[in-house]
Amino acid sequence: MSNGTFSLLEAVNLALHRAMAEDENVIVLGEDVGVNGGVFRATLGLRDSFGFKRVIDSPLAETMLGGLVVGMAAQGLKPVVEIQFMGFIYATMEHLVSHASRMRNRTRGRITCPMVLRTPMGAGIRAPEHHSESTEALFAHIPGLRVLVPSSPARAYGLLLAAIDDPDPVLFLEPTRLYRMNPQPLVDDGKRLPLDSCFTLREGSDITLVSWGASIVETLQAASALAEQGVSAEVIDVASIKPLDLDTLEASVRKTGRCVIVHEAPRTCGVGAEIAASLYERVLLELQAPILRVTAPDIPPPLYRLESLYIPGVEDILHACDSTLNFA
Amino acid sequence: MKYFKLPDLGEGLQEAEIVEWHVRAGDAVKADQLLVSVETAKALVDIPAPYDGVVAKTYGAPGDILHVGEPLLGYEGEADAGTVVGRLEGGGASQEDRFFVGAAPSTREHMAVRATPAVRQLARQLGVDVNALSGSAKDGLISRGDVENAAQQARERFGGDRLRGVRRSMALNMARSHAEVVPVTIYGDADLHRWGQARDPLIRLAKALAAACAVEPVLNSAFDGKSLSIKQHQHLDLGIAVDTPDGLFVPVLRNVGQRDAADLKAGVTRLRADVQARSIPPQEMMGATLTLSNFGTLFGRYANPVVVPPQVAILAAGVIRDEPVALNGAVVVHPLLPLSLTFDHRVVTGGEAARFFKALVEALEQP
Amino acid sequence: MPHKVALPYTRYLSPDGQLLGDLPAWADDFNLLTRLYRQMVLTRLFDQKAVALQRTGRIGTYAPTLGQEAIGVAIGSLMRPEDVLVPYYRDTAVQLMRGVRMEEILLYWGGDERGSDFADPAVAEDFPICVPIATQALHACGVASAFKIRGEHRVVVTTCGDGATSKGDFLEALNVAGTWQLPVVFVVNNNQWAISVPRRIQCGAPTLAQKAIGAGFHGEQVDGNDMLAVYDRVQAALERARHGKGPVLLECLSYRLGDHTTADDATRYRAADEVKQAWLEEPVKRLQRFMVGQGVWDGNREQALMVECQALVQRAVDNFEAAGTQAPESVLDYVYAQWPAALAEQREVFLERLARRAGGADHE
Repeated sequence: MSNGTFSLLEAVNLALHRAMAEDENVIVLGEDVGVNGGVFRATLGLRDSFGFKRVIDSPLAETMLGGLVVGMAAQGLKPVVEIQFMGFIYATMEHLVSHASRMRNRTRGRITCPMVLRTPMGAGIRAPEHHSESTEALFAHIPGLRVLVPSSPARAYGLLLAAIDDPDPVLFLEPTRLYRMNPQPLVDDGKRLPLDSCFTLREGSDITLVSWGASIVETLQAASALAEQGVSAEVIDVASIKPLDLDTLEASVRKTGRCVIVHEAPRTCGVGAEIAASLYERVLLELQAPILRVTAPDIPPPLYRLESLYIPGVEDILHACDSTLNFA
Repeated sequence: MKYFKLPDLGEGLQEAEIVEWHVRAGDAVKADQLLVSVETAKALVDIPAPYDGVVAKTYGAPGDILHVGEPLLGYEGEADAGTVVGRLEGGGASQEDRFFVGAAPSTREHMAVRATPAVRQLARQLGVDVNALSGSAKDGLISRGDVENAAQQARERFGGDRLRGVRRSMALNMARSHAEVVPVTIYGDADLHRWGQARDPLIRLAKALAAACAVEPVLNSAFDGKSLSIKQHQHLDLGIAVDTPDGLFVPVLRNVGQRDAADLKAGVTRLRADVQARSIPPQEMMGATLTLSNFGTLFGRYANPVVVPPQVAILAAGVIRDEPVALNGAVVVHPLLPLSLTFDHRVVTGGEAARFFKALVEALEQP
Repeated sequence: MPHKVALPYTRYLSPDGQLLGDLPAWADDFNLLTRLYRQMVLTRLFDQKAVALQRTGRIGTYAPTLGQEAIGVAIGSLMRPEDVLVPYYRDTAVQLMRGVRMEEILLYWGGDERGSDFADPAVAEDFPICVPIATQALHACGVASAFKIRGEHRVVVTTCGDGATSKGDFLEALNVAGTWQLPVVFVVNNNQWAISVPRRIQCGAPTLAQKAIGAGFHGEQVDGNDMLAVYDRVQAALERARHGKGPVLLECLSYRLGDHTTADDATRYRAADEVKQAWLEEPVKRLQRFMVGQGVWDGNREQALMVECQALVQRAVDNFEAAGTQAPESVLDYVYAQWPAALAEQREVFLERLARRAGGADHE
């Protein structure tokens, strides 16, 4: 057991080491994941520990990776494939949508697909084009998939282990901006966190703030600012984008009567829309104000000079909270 | 280890021979400090350190040829940027990460009141606290009925009978008038000594009002406070306040100016009879352009009668009584009729009202 | 000028069943040949029955195998039970040979997912048919990777048509198979047509087999309508792959005698003469003529075979008809290992909807 502080990235690495040690069927593959340990070093040390048969440097072909893991998983392996950036995930989509998500269903359970696809997502690292994507909504729409977004080292560790255990395909989207931020103490005890669940990061009574991924940072900062104004905010990390834990969200908004959703992804048909619509169905009668969404506009992520305009900031969140709190 | 590679030496030169090292492994160097001298085909070149650091290793001995881009020197420390694009911010406070799986304890324990936005609005209007209610419908949903019942119960704690019919209308109309109208009342007396035998003051008052309207028509108009518009009436339709056991009725005597006294008298008689019999049609009580309250049939002198919008004036007549008056230096006793004219000062000026009143009294004082 | 590459091409029988040279050693096993012939006949009868069922509305769109029976029967008979088949959608022949039941094939094309839940343990790991073109080639590489990682001497056979070889998935599959030396045999059923697009405008290379060269492994062509040739070359390919010599790309030249699917009408884009000519080279007659020529087949045996096969096909149709329809809730039951609690409300709403449609019948 290893103790000490770990960043989110290091927590991912820790979880991969543990998963591979516990189950010889776990295979890690992707571009640059073996010798180089991954471009972000998420797979550092795995090849030395588990060998070249289980930690595979693949040719440069995302479609190939998407299809390959379907075949591997059908054979009872548990492939954990890294797609280097979410901007390159689209080449795998046909296999995720047409095969991975459907294999169990179309064979009535005879063939299944216990795979995990890990990829860095989101903006905020001043990267070149196509390295700042937040398109989780595309995958949230696909039946048969699970989509997870951890926002802290502890949750990355516990959720990745759970994802690898899960007998169905899971997308594990790692917020790049959080990779090295806010390291925290972490015990490598192999404890899984539950799937399909939100996490309440801050208990409060006046307003519910809902977010996931890197935006959790700004959301927590906004909650602190609100506390100084005497407003008690409850912060919920959605974490499981699909399926959504609407029960937790519902209970919180029922308690506070007010809700602001924050996500980095563009507004239209973002996951915030699904959460808002579902909450309206369940808690219209308890709402004191409309549910607001603080999001990026419907634009591709700008190149890095204007990147900060794209990402919802603390002031943007506070502005929305203000409208909500002062509504009628 | 972080490599410093042989930089571009300019002029298309691709290689250099190491001549002399000025630092060695273990040395701490500062930016721009001289590291090594190399010789190109053209010249002897000194190469400075690109930044501060500690030398981990040098590459090449004097006499060795190095090409542009080859490692020249290694700095100690983490060379791994840990990314191939962009810049990852590191650090941040090593925080505790406390979180609940799913809902927080207070959320789990919370019991909420369920009511639609429309019902909440009704509660606000009726002054009912929706959080204090419990719902009668399924799932504890609070209904319109629940809110209305609560309001009713609040009323019933007051007790008493609810106003109905004419009394209810009076309460509403008077409150409305009070809220809108800006009333001014002028008091005056008409000296009726020239009247001779007693005559029905009501008809004389009606005719006198018609005469006054001819002088100052503005007091016979309709006014809309919201749009600030005024409509001048062409006829005087006089509302006559009638007191009954059921309350105040105000039937309307139409077109007073064009009718003679006998006709008017017949009209009044008929109206009175209908009111007593409670058979007066509602139209007969609508459309008064000006109102007369002859409370002089009962008791009292002067009053501040209430202008009822959209009318802009009302005249009240008290009890005719004998009073000593000064006439040509002597004191005589004459029958005086006390009069009170209230006008809406949003529409009518004091001058207009005074002239109206004067004309009214002059008409009345005729034999 | 097309780039010429020397690739092997194998044929033992002429179109009318005459031996062209020396037979391979195994081919004097006439019991084997009879079994292969019987299976081709059964496949063809079943295939025709499937088309008839579609025409009468008892199954949906179906992709017939007419004229390409030799390829599938050869593959299916040579693969071992522990090998895995990753087919495309025109693989009735190989699926039947492997152990998929006729009624399962009818169920699948008849709109019932149970058709992909193969009952026979011999095909427990075989993939269901694949619609998105060429994507199965990558799945096959994944399966082969698993074999290699675990050190198992098992082979994956994956099939596709000539059109599929144009797709990125196919090329990426060849690439990774060649890079990792995977135990996979790529069988290309080059039946000359990708719906209405003829082979000559599908790819500029003179052979499809030579794509293997670009991926670093062995490719060859074979007359796909010559059962002896196909059997021989498939056997060689499987041996190669099984013994760690890497992948093989086997291009089987055949002709699609039927329409692309029952929804297609090939007379729109093909000349009748060409089809007529192709019938002269079809595989069933060819093997029959050879066997008759060798004195091991005759009209009586043919007659008996037809009766037997027809009975088998009819029994399968009866089983298919008797299978009924799945319970409506089954659309929810296999999406996840367990329907997530977080989606419980959706399940309730769906069941209520079922109840309403059934006129208020009881539901869970």
